[in-house]
Amino acid sequence: MPAKSRISPYPYWFFLPAAAIFVVFFLVPTVASFYFSLTYWDPFEARFAGWDNYVQFFSEPYLLRGTVNTLAFAVLTSGMKTVIGLLLAVLLTSGMMGQSLLRSIVFFPVLVSTIGVGLLFQELMHPTQGAINVALAAVGIDGPGWLTNPSLALFSVALVDVWRGVGLATLIYIAGLATIGPEYYEAARIDGATRLQQFWRVTVPLIRPATTTVIILSLIGGLRLFDLIWAMTRGGPGFSSDVLASVIYKQYQAGFWGLSTAGNVILFLLIALIIAPLAWWLNRRSIDS
Amino acid sequence: MARVELKDLRKNFGAVEVIKGVDLTIEDGEFCVFVGPSGCGKSTLLRMISGLEEQSSGMIEIGGRDVSRAEPSERGIAMVFQNYALYPHLTVRENIGFGLSLARRPKSEIAEKVAAVAETLQLGAYLDRKPKALSGGQRQRVAIGRAIVRDPQVFLFDEPLSNLDAALRSQMRIELTELHERLGATMIYVTHDQVEAMTMADKIVVLNGGRIEQVGPPMELYQRPATPFVAGFIGSPKMNLYNGKVAEEMGCRTYGIRPEHLALSETEGRWPGTVRHVERLGADTIVHMDAPDLGPVIARTDGSRSFAQGSTVWVTPNPEFEFRY
Amino acid sequence: MKPRQILNGGLALSASLVIFVIPFLFVLINAMKSPQEASQPDFALPERWLFWENFVTTVQTRDYALLLAYWNSTVITVGAITLLVIFGAMVGYVVQRRPSTVTRIVYMVALSGLMIPPAVVPTIWLLQSVGLFKTLNGMILIQVAYGLGFTVLLYRSFIGTIPRELDEAAIIDGAKPWQVFFKVVLPLLKPVTLTVIVVQSISIFNDFTHPLYYLPGRDNVTVQLTLYNFQSQFASQMNLLFMNILLITIPPLIVFIFFNRQIVAGMTSGAVKG
Repeated sequence: MPAKSRISPYPYWFFLPAAAIFVVFFLVPTVASFYFSLTYWDPFEARFAGWDNYVQFFSEPYLLRGTVNTLAFAVLTSGMKTVIGLLLAVLLTSGMMGQSLLRSIVFFPVLVSTIGVGLLFQELMHPTQGAINVALAAVGIDGPGWLTNPSLALFSVALVDVWRGVGLATLIYIAGLATIGPEYYEAARIDGATRLQQFWRVTVPLIRPATTTVIILSLIGGLRLFDLIWAMTRGGPGFSSDVLASVIYKQYQAGFWGLSTAGNVILFLLIALIIAPLAWWLNRRSIDS
Repeated sequence: MARVELKDLRKNFGAVEVIKGVDLTIEDGEFCVFVGPSGCGKSTLLRMISGLEEQSSGMIEIGGRDVSRAEPSERGIAMVFQNYALYPHLTVRENIGFGLSLARRPKSEIAEKVAAVAETLQLGAYLDRKPKALSGGQRQRVAIGRAIVRDPQVFLFDEPLSNLDAALRSQMRIELTELHERLGATMIYVTHDQVEAMTMADKIVVLNGGRIEQVGPPMELYQRPATPFVAGFIGSPKMNLYNGKVAEEMGCRTYGIRPEHLALSETEGRWPGTVRHVERLGADTIVHMDAPDLGPVIARTDGSRSFAQGSTVWVTPNPEFEFRY
Repeated sequence: MKPRQILNGGLALSASLVIFVIPFLFVLINAMKSPQEASQPDFALPERWLFWENFVTTVQTRDYALLLAYWNSTVITVGAITLLVIFGAMVGYVVQRRPSTVTRIVYMVALSGLMIPPAVVPTIWLLQSVGLFKTLNGMILIQVAYGLGFTVLLYRSFIGTIPRELDEAAIIDGAKPWQVFFKVVLPLLKPVTLTVIVVQSISIFNDFTHPLYYLPGRDNVTVQLTLYNFQSQFASQMNLLFMNILLITIPPLIVFIFFNRQIVAGMTSGAVKG
């Protein structure tokens, strides 16, 4: 009798449908982008151009500004979400009154359309008629031009992004806090730890995995952000609040497709070069613990 | 002086009273074990002494001082948890020295004290390891070390050996008893295992439903149990307890006789019974029987004897060891 | 409840109300105003609450563009979710059940989709070459491609909790691989499937960037694009703009109210692994 051939009940062809879509619509363009970034490509012609696009990116002030802004924006929003998210999570697991309602309130903006949020805050941040500055004026403070002041525009968008996204960080931290057994705090109490000491020496170290997740997720999101910038400032005033994603779009609209794709590649490299080592470094430290 | 006094201690969780008026004195240097079934309140009682749980009413005194309102860190106690509570991100050295570093003691002092404790518990080789890299028994010793370094008046143990396997448990029992002799400190130990209670305690407190059933040295609880509950709880295998006809005959509500005090014979005796199941443990043989006059009976006899399942065997109680309640 | 907890609660509740709820109240109030009242949007209450009038006007704008947009968004969402659930589960299943170098690579590649920014212009070039540019079908396939990473992550994680013995029992009964998956495993995946549906629906519905690139023009516009396009249209009718924002916020709100648990579970489990 011939030996039965053992076919795995978990066949590789199960990957085919997903792989087909993923490869065609995601991987192929990604690979192609490396090539196209080395071309001059507009509605009329496509010719090889070597490093020209990249040179342009790092010499033209408005393009360079976009790259710098992207980094600054990502680091700023990630930092704020990490810190505020943890503080909120600690507050929202302390057994206070109205706790679960508050968790929902804080989290809901994560689910709302970014365009909606962007347009809303654009109105609220109007320099003279926006509700924020009107409220400030009522207590005698001269509110700044949140979105009209070039030095402030990117920061204002960052604030809105944190408003919108801190709920997710809080959620992740709350899940992480639940994994810390009460006996760690009890042992610390017996040793005489104050609440502040308990926070720094018990909570923060033991919540390292959640912190890693929050930092990485928010950095990736911050580096890639487009819709909020586009809705609130379109990269303006001028190009003071441009980020790579908006530069990519603007160059596309202008017909400089090769340049636009070069921007894509730069964004890709930024993410890869930042996230990969960061993830490795953060995870290595938590393995030790 | 590290004497512990509890006066009319009560605890309610909402409408449920879980500790119903406990009065207890634990002498300086005593090894006192709280024992009882799940839910009897022994852990709650321990936690109230530690200050982690606040009592609803009553007083707690440690070393002559009223600590009823004091923070756990101010009561002169140290606690060893069931799950050890060792910080996974700190080394053994840092875990033991944790409390001292919180109090901002100078590094030299911390190093000295940690070294002394490590010496006592033979943890020297592991000082720079993380808890992950330790076995269960080693982790337990680190937890004990963290308690010792506080130099407390009273040590509190919350079921510390429950997470260990049987062999390790018997070894740790001996180590803890030796530690007690060495340090001479007052120790309060919570367990559900009456074997631990019997072997380690100077004094046992049997708790049931939030109340103390009996307090006394192990042999006193074994030989003179005050209530049917204590009689049935202390001793393994459990004492045979009967209400109903037999008790009436004996002139009491509950009649008790321990398995080791029943004589077995295939020919004659007080009550007949049918053998359901025989456990031959080597040194002893445990016989499970059904006696029509009594109910289920457990008897213990010498390991060389055995009986066929289904056979009829007669049991006779030793009148010196009968209990009537 | 201890006094400190009530105090904390009170303070935090007030602060959160101001920071997180008031912006939405702002939208609600101004969505009910007349155009004149809303020309300078503020917190003054409208004279008359014009919910129905504003609602109707907004919906009728540009030949009921909003209705078409809702239809398009729904088609894209439903189409993409269907494919994502089936294909993503298939991948997650084999990746979890068959640990090997191949599956590990596949998993890493899928996860990379969470990090790598899509190359938009080359994608347009690709869509044009296959004739899917500016089509709903093209958009569906794009959303599937972009959503596979997260979906596979969730499925793989959940399938780890389904005992292998169930598959093995079915195999002994003579089931072929596709039968084992579709008849035994997939029905057991209802909880995570629900989570995937809820989380990805919101994500696809709220997506602005990708329809902006891949669905320009009037015909296949989505809800988000409509709101964006109406900015100039409603420049002098801010009340309608706010009504539009309100309408865009309501579907996720409804989903959140009913599927709170699934959303939370999906976000945290996906995040913790990622």
